[in-house]
Amino acid sequence: MTVASMTHSNDSTGKGSITEPSGNLSSMKAHRWAIALTATTFPLIWLGGLVTTYNAGMAVPDWPGTYGYNLWLYPWTTWIFGPFDLFVEHGHRLLATVVGLIAIALVLSAYRSDDRRWFVRWTVLVLLAVIAQGVLGGFRVVLDARTMAMVHGCTGPLFFAMATATAVMSSRWWLSAPKVSRPSVGIWTAVFLLAASFCQLVIGAQLRHIQPTVSPRIFTMWVHLHLTIALVVTMTIFWVAYASLRRKSQDSGGISARAGLLVLLVLVQLCLGLGTWISNYAMPWPNLTPELARYTIQAKGFIESLIVTGHQATGSLIIALATVLVFRVGRLSRKSDR
Amino acid sequence: MHSVSGVLPRMVGQRTILPCRGRNSCKDMALETFTAFSGRSMSSPFSAFIAGFILLGSLCGCGGPIAHFEPNRLIAKRMERENETSMDEVLGDIQTVSREYFGTPDEPRWPEILSTGDFVELNRADLLERAAGPTGRGHDKVERGIYRKHCVDCHGLSGDGYGPASALQSPYPRDFRRGTFKFKSTAMGSKPTVSDLRKTIAQGIAGTAMPAFHSLASTTELKNQEIDRSADHSALGDDDLDALVHYVRYLSIRGEFERHLLLKSGSRIQLDKGERLYDPRLMDRDVAAFEKQKSWIESQLIEIARNWISAPTKTIPIPDHPKSRFRIPEDLSGESREALLASISRGEELFQGTTAACAQCHGKSGDGNGALPDFDEWTKDWTIRAGIDPRDKRAWKAMKPYGALAPQRALARNFRYGVFRGGSLPGDLYRRLVGGIEGSPMPAVSMQPQIAQGLSEEDVWDLVNFVRSRPFAKQIPSMNAEVSP
Repeated sequence: MTVASMTHSNDSTGKGSITEPSGNLSSMKAHRWAIALTATTFPLIWLGGLVTTYNAGMAVPDWPGTYGYNLWLYPWTTWIFGPFDLFVEHGHRLLATVVGLIAIALVLSAYRSDDRRWFVRWTVLVLLAVIAQGVLGGFRVVLDARTMAMVHGCTGPLFFAMATATAVMSSRWWLSAPKVSRPSVGIWTAVFLLAASFCQLVIGAQLRHIQPTVSPRIFTMWVHLHLTIALVVTMTIFWVAYASLRRKSQDSGGISARAGLLVLLVLVQLCLGLGTWISNYAMPWPNLTPELARYTIQAKGFIESLIVTGHQATGSLIIALATVLVFRVGRLSRKSDR
Repeated sequence: MHSVSGVLPRMVGQRTILPCRGRNSCKDMALETFTAFSGRSMSSPFSAFIAGFILLGSLCGCGGPIAHFEPNRLIAKRMERENETSMDEVLGDIQTVSREYFGTPDEPRWPEILSTGDFVELNRADLLERAAGPTGRGHDKVERGIYRKHCVDCHGLSGDGYGPASALQSPYPRDFRRGTFKFKSTAMGSKPTVSDLRKTIAQGIAGTAMPAFHSLASTTELKNQEIDRSADHSALGDDDLDALVHYVRYLSIRGEFERHLLLKSGSRIQLDKGERLYDPRLMDRDVAAFEKQKSWIESQLIEIARNWISAPTKTIPIPDHPKSRFRIPEDLSGESREALLASISRGEELFQGTTAACAQCHGKSGDGNGALPDFDEWTKDWTIRAGIDPRDKRAWKAMKPYGALAPQRALARNFRYGVFRGGSLPGDLYRRLVGGIEGSPMPAVSMQPQIAQGLSEEDVWDLVNFVRSRPFAKQIPSMNAEVSP
């Protein structure tokens, strides 16, 4: 069946009207794979975060195999019942291969069913990105490079953003999105939010992967920068929410719903950030409350690990949602109908 | 062309447990691999792709081997200020000696002289290897680099308390190089026992960044917070916790050795004009002079190590006394209520009196709001002893480039929270009072019979009961008056 995809053009209200078709409904298959890719990448990011939290990056000393075994043939009993760091690292590798397979399926599906050549090329880029990410992770192990682990940790959320963008671009909404002269949120505001969120993640990665030879002054500088950009990201998100609510009547891209979700996420993220600091370094004012004075950090404790890893994963989620915002606003304010 | 399945497994197969060992740097490894790929067929996009990654890795840097422990520049600077002469040469000599005797952060070792006789308990190369070096598991699945995994962000590679995250903490992480530890079962001036260190690491320190590492213990004995510190574990086992304890002792002895040499050299006790602390070139020119240098250095080392291994003999005994057996708060409403209240009342009197003089710092009610707090010994080491007023920001800032952190005042404990960092059992508190808290402004109380006007054992137990009762002040009639407003 053809074309469900219909595009809209501007009208005087800015809400748009249906004008011409493009794309193909069968591209929904690619959309399903893109959703699967996004849904699988998020737990992969969690697992990757756990690898850093537990310092498990070198729990398996070889790559691409695991202790001499083919990755998929490593005895599952040793994996499940072995040391926790090995469980996390090997699990991260296994899930990464699943993500890779889904990326291959996405390319094949897009190639067969989507008539947008640029989209097919994009899915190939997604596949190359996941391969590159895997190789980067592999070389982190082979070279025992802590800094490369940090790069791997930063490019992971970028890949997550790519997967999210793929899901947006393959969606029914994308194909039928109207043209809007002035979307409720400006494209540059959305791009700024995405860039600031990513910068924030990179600085967070600097703190997480700090080298033992780094001076306290540099670490302190990163912390202050992290706090400053947290403020910038929070204010931008509140601005986006305010702007989208102010012109809600002209919201044809679900921008206000996404902005609301971003507000919720950033509030959770601020709490997790505070929790991360407390569960890593305690409060510098332990006598502030009896609870803080009594709190003893449990090294690699379950709750502590969840908070710290959750902080990193929520950061990735904010980046992904900012990506959705960029692509939705970009689509609404497009000039051509490709 | 080399395939991934060809070169990488070979490369991985050659990889030792700690990959950087024996190499100049991981960048060399990256370069070798890059050459292996690019030397054959760079025309292949796949080769170029892989080689690009390797180059990226080399650009990122993989840390590489850490060639030496950071020297104690703070003490060197202090001696420089004292003598108004440069300590650069001495510092260089001490670095050489230290590396020769103790190795490097990636390849630590105990000096040969400490591997036999009385010191044989220190000779645990297996524990050193597991605690030191980069984090990860080898092909034998044994985890290594435990210190870098858990401790280095705060305590630093050299155990100098100057790790990347140190400046943002209060109190600062411990600098092991003084060999001074707050929470121990031994008398003032003595080293902690293996058991003391093990318990501090296992139980963590409440309200600070020091986590509880009991999950590293192979047994469950340390998972109980109410453990009795009188049980001595002087011998090390072989779990991860033991590896950490052993490495802390190693860093302390190494740091103390370095500090000791700096202080002695700086105060010119040992060195005449033009004389070197340690000159390996003398080995060829003047063997007798070289042996003299070496023998003096080793005598200093033995003195330091002996203090550590004799620590168990300096343990403060916990005398049994009826007043030591009160359970608080249970006994505040039980049969022993009257006896306990009498003990608490007597303890309060002593607390506010002039003999124990606890109220001076802890405040009349033990809320930690006494006189302005003092600085600890780690701070005084490079401030007051170097002629610097720690309250004068401009003065102390001059020491920042040498590894100084902004001076923090040592706060007196607020007993109302019921948090006792060195252990909350009656025996722990008894030892805190009798032994003081080493390195902090908290002194040891004067005891009878050594000092006639000092406290008796019974007095100390009264004080302990008063301190333990503070979180339950509402249940104590004599304290109610001050609590209710």
